[in-house]
Amino acid sequence: MKDLFEIYKQPKLQNPSLILSWSEDIGQLGPKVIDFLNKKLGGEKFADIEPSDFFAMGGVAIKNDLVHFPECEFYACENNNLVLFRSDAPANEWHRFLNLVLEIAENCCRVKEIYTIGGMASLIAHTNPRRIWTVVNQPEIKGTLARYGLYNEMNYRTPAGGRPTLSSYLLWIAKRRNISGVNLWQEIPFYLAQTADPNACKTMIAFLGKKLDFPIDLKELNQQIEKQEGTIDRFRLENPEIDECLSKLERTEELTQEENEKLAKEINDLLSKER
Amino acid sequence: MSVIFYKEPKLEKPEMLVAWPGIGNVGIIAIDTLRTALKAGEFGEIEPWDFFHPRSVTIENGELKELEFPNNKFYFKKTEQKDLLFFIGEEQPTEGGGAYAQGKKAWDMANMVLDVAIKFGCQRVYTSGAAVAPIHHTLESRVWVVPNREELLNEVKGYENAVLMSEIEGRGGQGSITGLNGLLLGVAKKRGLAGICVMGEVPVYLQGLALPYPKASKAVLKVLTKHLGITIDMGAIEDLTQRTERGIEELYQQLPPDVKKELDRLKYVKFAKPTEPGPITEEDQKRIMENIDELFKKGKRDDERPV
Repeated sequence: MKDLFEIYKQPKLQNPSLILSWSEDIGQLGPKVIDFLNKKLGGEKFADIEPSDFFAMGGVAIKNDLVHFPECEFYACENNNLVLFRSDAPANEWHRFLNLVLEIAENCCRVKEIYTIGGMASLIAHTNPRRIWTVVNQPEIKGTLARYGLYNEMNYRTPAGGRPTLSSYLLWIAKRRNISGVNLWQEIPFYLAQTADPNACKTMIAFLGKKLDFPIDLKELNQQIEKQEGTIDRFRLENPEIDECLSKLERTEELTQEENEKLAKEINDLLSKER
Repeated sequence: MSVIFYKEPKLEKPEMLVAWPGIGNVGIIAIDTLRTALKAGEFGEIEPWDFFHPRSVTIENGELKELEFPNNKFYFKKTEQKDLLFFIGEEQPTEGGGAYAQGKKAWDMANMVLDVAIKFGCQRVYTSGAAVAPIHHTLESRVWVVPNREELLNEVKGYENAVLMSEIEGRGGQGSITGLNGLLLGVAKKRGLAGICVMGEVPVYLQGLALPYPKASKAVLKVLTKHLGITIDMGAIEDLTQRTERGIEELYQQLPPDVKKELDRLKYVKFAKPTEPGPITEEDQKRIMENIDELFKKGKRDDERPV
């Protein structure tokens, strides 16, 4: 399998934890968390997976004016004993791809546990707290997460015609390889799903910092939260209908389908302009 | 699967221009015109047999003389302004039988071209192709530019007659570049090499036709030569553009009057913002394309070559 990946250097780590996310995520949560951790903890790329077996090689996508090419990259934060993996979701051969991710994590770094990060669109207001839901692949992990205020009683079955997420699939493969793992699903207000939710990033990073024992400066995220909330607050003042929708969500009242769509579109347009 | 070098030129930080066939052969005409005008010298080629089927056999007196494959050749030229490398591929390698590159062969081909770029200390690669747009064939083509690095955005914004994806109506900075002209820039990005795709606009109603569209190639060539600081005689491509346009106009005149009337509205496209109604609705476009397909199907029958 060696031609399927490349190791640039052997990182100095001792049974690290692996934090993993996919590039396309609700509210861009996963990639933003990984990028933030990489920047603040001095992550260094040490390996990547060759894309040719897992992605269509029929051209490239353009995103935000730039050529976008599939990336499947491992980073090591040696001072914090962490491995980060940020990847585009493979287009095909999920099973082989996910096994390869775990093979590199095990053989190159002796990873002891994995955490996947994913956003989950939720009918909450951006002024409400974001909950993190967990799914574990070994029951005893639940105990180790008990003191962090996470929600661990999720019940879900893939609806007919759907399929399990890549993160669920990875967790299952990890279980078969006897690697403990947790899917972390973070609530994101549905109207921020297409843009970004710095508040959700902060909640997730704060949890990871506590759980994995790394101190991290969250000032930059606080500034982003303040800026985004200020923008939405000003918009509410100018738009009574939007203000009413948000007020209803804050009171945990349901919105009509029409209100949901209008709120999502208007906030998305507003924040896209701001970017 | 290897590259054969006939010579190893000494080059100073060259830039590489790469092209394969595509819609209207926009990229390959532009880059091959530049290569020809500069009299760039051939110095190597990619062995074709792992990528392509042979395309012709020559038999003389019962003896097989030659089996011909599509060419995949490298050229170089040292100019006063810049050293240049060229790669011209006559066909895109495919694994699914389509016209555009895909699969492992496409990946291998892109990497082999970039191996040569890196071997000669190349600083940047350019690819070129067609951008299908709602324009009329009598209008000038704009050039869409897509870099593979954020730090190139400011530079390409300054190119004359060029637009970024976010400046194109209704695109929002997103899209795709099909085939090797796109894939090469993705692989270049992965390998740490800067690259820009330069695409000339082709009228939407001509995209499915097996016709070259040199007007778009000329627009691409103007952008490339200006950026590279190179002056060439544009007479040849100008002649080709005029000849092709006369041919397109002849076919255009054969369209049913109502279809022609609707396509004529594209002459007045002012690149409306997405919120404004477009000059032609999707329904109009579907009907027009059906008429054009029908017209050119007739043409294709006349044009068929013996096997």
